[in-house]
Amino acid sequence: MLLLQLYFSFHQWSIYLGAWHEAEFVGLDIFKEVFADSRFGWAILRSLAFAGGSTIGCFLIGFGLAYLMRKPFRGQALYYILFILPMLTVPIVIAYTGEMLLYESGPINDMISRVSGGDFKVAWLSNPSIALLTVMLLEIWNWTPFTFIIMVAGFASLPREPLEAARILGASSWRIFWEVQVPLLRPVIFLALTLRFLEAMAEFPKIWALFQGGPGSATETIPVYIFLTTWQYFQVSKGAALSYVAMMLMIVIVLGAIRLLRHEKRALDEMYVAPRSGG
Amino acid sequence: MTRSQKNRVAAVVRYAVLTVWALIVAFPIYWMVATSFKPSEQWFAWPAVYFPDPLTLDNYLDVWTGRQEIATAQYIISAQRPWLALGNSFLIAFSATSLAVVYGAAIAYGVSRYKILSDLRMFQLLMLRMIPPIVIVAPLSLYYSELGLLDSAVGLILIYFLTSLPFAVWMIKSFIDEVPREVEQAAEILGAPRWRTLLEIVLPLVRSGLVATFLFILILTWSEYLLALILSKTEVVTLPVELSKYQGTSEGRVYGRQAALSVGITVPLIIIGIIIRKHLARGFSFGMIRR
Repeated sequence: MLLLQLYFSFHQWSIYLGAWHEAEFVGLDIFKEVFADSRFGWAILRSLAFAGGSTIGCFLIGFGLAYLMRKPFRGQALYYILFILPMLTVPIVIAYTGEMLLYESGPINDMISRVSGGDFKVAWLSNPSIALLTVMLLEIWNWTPFTFIIMVAGFASLPREPLEAARILGASSWRIFWEVQVPLLRPVIFLALTLRFLEAMAEFPKIWALFQGGPGSATETIPVYIFLTTWQYFQVSKGAALSYVAMMLMIVIVLGAIRLLRHEKRALDEMYVAPRSGG
Repeated sequence: MTRSQKNRVAAVVRYAVLTVWALIVAFPIYWMVATSFKPSEQWFAWPAVYFPDPLTLDNYLDVWTGRQEIATAQYIISAQRPWLALGNSFLIAFSATSLAVVYGAAIAYGVSRYKILSDLRMFQLLMLRMIPPIVIVAPLSLYYSELGLLDSAVGLILIYFLTSLPFAVWMIKSFIDEVPREVEQAAEILGAPRWRTLLEIVLPLVRSGLVATFLFILILTWSEYLLALILSKTEVVTLPVELSKYQGTSEGRVYGRQAALSVGITVPLIIIGIIIRKHLARGFSFGMIRR
C-alpha cells in the first residue's frame, strides 16, 4: 500500500491517462509541487487549529460537566444518558441536521433574534470567516460526550483518602481541586486530550457534507484537501504525494501520542490496581 | 451562609448548568425528529416552526416506501434504495464487527495470558486506528479495483475489520485481564481440558464484556462515512452515504425526508449506546479507562 502510494508520488498519473503502470516517471517533481503548495500548508494549519480548538472546547465542557456530576444526586442517570446522545448520533446526520438548524433563516438564528430582539441573520454556513468556527461548534457538540464519559470515569476512580485528608487539614475546595484532584486525574486528562485530538485531525464527514472545503477554502482541512485533489480534481499523483506527507506528519504526531499514552497508561494501571491491593 | 444553605445554592447552580447543557444537547435531536414530521411548507418557514402542525408521516412514507421518486443530479433515489442501504449497512457492520470481535478476542486472550504481543506492539496496533484513513485510502482503492473489491461488501467488511481491530483487542483484553488467573488454574488442576476451561470458565466470565465490545464496534462501523463514500458509492451503498445523496436534489433541499432517514439511521445507535453506556468510556479509551 505504502509502496503504491510512493509510486504515484513519483509518477505523473491522472485518471485520464490509461493504465496506472504506464505513468511517466517524474522523480521528485510532485513532492516539490506539494511542498510549494501554499494551499496544503494552510490545510495543515487549519487542521491543527480545528483539532486544537475543538479538543479544548470538548475538554473544558466535558470536564466541567463531569466535575458537577462527580457526586450522586437525583436525576444523575438521566443527565448522563442525555449527555451521551450526541456521541451516538452518526456524524453525517449531525452535518445535515446542523444545516437545518444553522441556515440563514433557520431556528438558531430565529432564536437568537427572539432573545436579543434584533433581526439576526448570521451566515453560519456561507460566511468564510465563521465557517470553520461553525464546524468546530458542531464537532464540540458531537464529541463533548467523549471527554465527559472519560472524565466521569476518572472522577469515579479517584481514591478518597487524599481528598478527605486534605479536607481535614482544612484545605479550601479550590485548593483541593487544583492540588489534589487535578494531579491525580492527570493521566485521565492526557488520555482524553490525546485521543480526542487525533480523532479531530481525521474529521471528514461533517466538513465534507456541509462545506466541501468551502466557502472558498475556509474549511479545507488535510482530509478534505486530499479528497478534493484525488477525487474531484483527479490528480491522483498529487493526492498520493499529499497523502504521503500527511501520513508522515500524522505518524510523528501519533508516535508522540503513543509515547505519552504508554507513560500515562502505567499511571492508570497503578490507579486501578492500588485500591484492590490496599483492600 | 450556613453549610446547608451553601449546599443548596450549589445544588441549584449544578442543576441550572446541567439543564442548560441538556437543552443544547437535546435541541438539535428534537429538531431532527420534529422536521421529520413536518409537511414540506414548514421545512424552511421563517420564523421557524418549532412544533410541526399538522403532524405528518409523509416524509417517512416518501423515504421508506418510495412513494415518490426523487430525481437528483447524479443519482436516482428510487423505491427500495433506503432498504437496500439498510441491508448493506446491516450486512457490513455485523460481519465486520463479528470478525473483529472473534479475531480480537483470540489476540486479546493471547496477549493477556501469554504476552504474544509485547507492550510496544500493542501500542503499535493502535496506529491502525490513529492514522486517519484518508491518507491510505487512495492506494487502497486502486488495490481494491485490481482485486475486484471496489464497490463490494467484502471490501468494506475487510477495511472495517482492520480499523476496528485495535478497539476489539484492547477492549477485550481489559475484560480478560479482570478475570483472575487463579480461576483458570483451578480448573486445570481439576483436570479440565484446555478448551473446556476456555469455553466454560473464561467465556461466561467475559461474555458481557464481549457483547459490550461487539455493540461498541457496531456503533463505529455503522456510522463510518469516508471509507464507505470512496470505496463504494454506486452498488453497495451504506446508510450514511445514502443520506448524503439527498443533498442537492433537483427539487432543492428536502429537509423533511433527510430528517426521516436520519431518524432511521440514528435510533438504533442511540438504543445500543444507552444499553452499553457503562462501557462506552472503556471502549473509546481502548480499555485504558475502566469503571
